Amino acid sequence: MADSLPTEFDVVIIGTGLPESILAAACSRSGQRVLHVDSRSYYGGNWASFSFSGLLSWLKECQQNSNVGEEGTATWQDLIDETEEAITLRKEDATIQHTEVFCYVGQDVEDNVQEVGALQKNPSSVESSILTLDSACLPEERHTSYLTSYEVPGTNTQKSDRELSPEVTDTEEWLEKEKYCEDKTCVYTVSDGEKDENKLRVKDNTDKPKKNRISYSQIVKEGRRFNIDLVSKLLYSQGSLIDLLIKSNVSRYAEFKNVTRILAFREGKVEQVPCSRADVFNSKELTMVEKRMLMKFLTFCLDYEQHPDEYQAFEQCLFSEYLKTKKLTPNLRHFILHSIAMTSESSCSTLDGLKATKTFLQCLGRFGNTPFLFPLYGQGEIPQCFCRMSAVFGGIYCLRHKVQCFVVDRESGRCKAIIDHFGQRINAKYFIVEDSYLSEEACSTVQYRQISRAVLITDQSILKTESDQQVSILIVPPVEPGACAVRVMELCSATMTCMKDTYLVHLTCSSSKTAREDLESVVKKLFTPYAEAEIDKEELTKPQLLWALYFNMRDSSGINRSSYNGLPSNVYVCSGPDCELGNDHAVKQAETLFQEIFPNEEFCPPPPNPEDIIFDGDDKQPEASGTSNIKMAKLESSKESKSLESPGKHFQN
Amino acid sequence: MQAPHREHLYKLLVIGDLGVGKTSIIKRYVHQNFSSHYRATIGVDFALKVLHWDPETVVRLQLWDIAGQERFGNMTRVYYREAMGAFIVFDVTRPATFEAVAKWKNDLDSKLTLPNGKPVSVVLLANKCDQGKDVLLNNGLKMDQFCKEHGFVGWFETSAKENINIDEASRCLVKHILANECDLMESIEPDVVKPHLASPKVVSCSSCAKS
Ligand SMILES: Cc1cc2nc3c(=O)[nH]c(=O)nc-3n(C[C@H](O)[C@H](O)[C@H](O)COP(=O)(O)OP(=O)(O)OC[C@H]3O[C@@H](n4cnc5c(N)ncnc54)[C@H](O)[C@@H]3O)c2cc1C
Ligand SMILES: Nc1nc2c(ncn2[C@@H]2O[C@H](COP(=O)(O)OP(=O)(O)OP(=O)(O)O)[C@@H](O)[C@H]2O)c(=O)[nH]1
Ligand SMILES: [Mg+2]
Repeated sequence: MADSLPTEFDVVIIGTGLPESILAAACSRSGQRVLHVDSRSYYGGNWASFSFSGLLSWLKECQQNSNVGEEGTATWQDLIDETEEAITLRKEDATIQHTEVFCYVGQDVEDNVQEVGALQKNPSSVESSILTLDSACLPEERHTSYLTSYEVPGTNTQKSDRELSPEVTDTEEWLEKEKYCEDKTCVYTVSDGEKDENKLRVKDNTDKPKKNRISYSQIVKEGRRFNIDLVSKLLYSQGSLIDLLIKSNVSRYAEFKNVTRILAFREGKVEQVPCSRADVFNSKELTMVEKRMLMKFLTFCLDYEQHPDEYQAFEQCLFSEYLKTKKLTPNLRHFILHSIAMTSESSCSTLDGLKATKTFLQCLGRFGNTPFLFPLYGQGEIPQCFCRMSAVFGGIYCLRHKVQCFVVDRESGRCKAIIDHFGQRINAKYFIVEDSYLSEEACSTVQYRQISRAVLITDQSILKTESDQQVSILIVPPVEPGACAVRVMELCSATMTCMKDTYLVHLTCSSSKTAREDLESVVKKLFTPYAEAEIDKEELTKPQLLWALYFNMRDSSGINRSSYNGLPSNVYVCSGPDCELGNDHAVKQAETLFQEIFPNEEFCPPPPNPEDIIFDGDDKQPEASGTSNIKMAKLESSKESKSLESPGKHFQN
Repeated sequence: MQAPHREHLYKLLVIGDLGVGKTSIIKRYVHQNFSSHYRATIGVDFALKVLHWDPETVVRLQLWDIAGQERFGNMTRVYYREAMGAFIVFDVTRPATFEAVAKWKNDLDSKLTLPNGKPVSVVLLANKCDQGKDVLLNNGLKMDQFCKEHGFVGWFETSAKENINIDEASRCLVKHILANECDLMESIEPDVVKPHLASPKVVSCSSCAKS
């Protein structure tokens, strides 16, 4: 590990989210000298995934943000001369708000339970933060003070609709010591109000828990099994991210699981949506007539452009209205609208609906019988895959590396350098920066949207089948028209994102209020809080919630470059994660920016096959095989000349 | 010729300070050549070496060299993910690179475990032994002690230049991995999709895809 950083680069990239990482790979690949930095200690920014303890540390960090000290940062003022001016960058992250944590499972925790084998890069801060969060959950006397509306086990019972929302005033007492934080992370311990007899049983059983009962200490201990994504996305199997991964061969670093089921929520019930031809025919829920109607409609959607007469008259109407004219039962209309086109009743035009349906159908069967893939170990892997590619081509990586300011040449108005927190000046020609690093000043006129997120750890699937290893996506339509649909993604342990016998559930919608306010009603419909006692199997139809987190994330997608104040023309801005299911926005943005900066370079061409690289002898001239143009390592034309087959060819079913 | 009965694919990491000879070792091992011309490694991701272990077993080794990011100690998880073993390399002519060995080992153990929670097998390589400056190593006993303390499965004095002990070191590592693997069988993941340029097949078991 060397310590001195070079000071001359072609491109400096600030932030390791998906678009920045794709750009880093593309730039290094085309021979640019790239410095890629992130002020955080992990890759991915708001695209990161965390182990359980990692997530708790992240929460702590969000909470402490407004409190960061200035120590140890050299002043940049002395480092620029009169022909230059500085544009300072933001010192703390402001993209996460309204974090709230609920712990439903028993806190039978010996004080020092720790994640097994967890790596903590920053031991002091990470450990202390875990402790604080734990202790917020632990002390008994606190329960009563802020959970006035709930029951503490052992006191009287009151079976009620538990609102999981103590007023902030209730929590102020124990938040006192953390007053400095603007953005409170509220940690609630929710005890369950059970029947008396159950209560007693709990007491008897405390030290030998029933099988499959999961305690908080188990979650902490197995914390490394979790890879909890801050964003919840999937890859469309014909989408631009998959295409890019394949084209650039970054796919060699990633593995995926098929999403196995598309679910729908209708009349209080979760059911599976048949979407492939085979599914439709095998469906037990659909009648013969419905099967025929659905097949007919889906077949039409696949090449709807060829049959303009079928929809032209309705082009301006809502898709939901159009479906009503197509002799489809309400059941089928619901499936098509919410689960296949994944749109809503009141916002989608016929044309957009048909297009979405077609996209969905085209993605079917490329890799499996739903159109979606999920990356093993979480979406947070994907930016890292691109970073690895960039590093392989010489990109230099520095995490925990803060940038204080851009140095701008007054005369040309172009950015010449950055000054980092060591006071080192690093020169480059182009600068790429993620939105959240820009100062409030630069963003003062920008209107941001918000994303509401919930992360749940549960004990069972929302739709049980013989196999407990399903990966499911469910769209819950809004109750009131005009509100947003909620996207629910349920991951099983085979995706390497949660421990055995648990499920990791992600909820996402675009925000109208705080995340909890936006999402709690859906959580309540699908789950029930964890009950300490063993309940009759029959009685327990809904999966139980073990742990829950809500937060809002800023959505900086779709912001026009010109909305930022005073940025030099060679500073390019990438946005944070958007609310969409796919990753098209990030890929598109990376490609567009790359082409703007390097109009004559190819975007992420395939690298040479490792087997084809021969290391150069000192005497030999490089010889490169046709497709790959590699600057340093040299290629032998490959024996079985791997031609670039058009991927599409393989996936027509 | 009889087809071998078993094939193993192992990902191995090659770790160590700048310029200790990581790339040279891989190059010697995989491509049987050596260059004394140093240039920082760029564009090299991993190299493949096929071993005919015994008449029944073929072992494919994917040797992952480290890339620019490691210079500053910020490896991506992608690098570690699912590795089965590692070589940690130091340069006998530069004591500072030996001092870094324990740090690399700790770093590795904190980031990577086998699916059963045990640490992966690591072999220590004392490279450039052709230089005759191996002051550190004249005391073999001390090295044995060091390996024991730090959990290395073995150590070798190697030279990429003179091709000394590289095959031996690799055989030692593979032997330990094979021995470990018996109790790892449960870890095999069915149904994993690996989209690739050359062979965009679904690596999955179709019988599991019922719904
Ligand atoms: C079967 C199995 C195999 C695995 N194999 C591998 C493997 O081969 N290689 C591998 O690397 N991992 C593997 N993992 C995952 C492993 O448990 C860790 O996720 C990984 O080692 C973290 O590596 P890192 O230092 O590169 O991550 P980093 O992103 O650098 O972070 C280290 C850890 O600390 C957390 N963290 C760091 N900084 C912060 C912060 N400021 N705030 C909050 N949280 C923070 C992160 O969430 C992470 O858990 C495996 C897991 C399983 C279950
Ligand atoms: N004499 C001698 N020189 C060696 C040996 N192995 C490597 N070298 C030389 O040491 C220098 C560095 O070797 P590399 O293989 O590039 O080292 P590396 O660890 O891959 O370096 P980085 O990729 O920059 O971290 C080169 O000049 C090699 O020729 C060896 O066994 N003996
Ligand atoms: Mg090298």
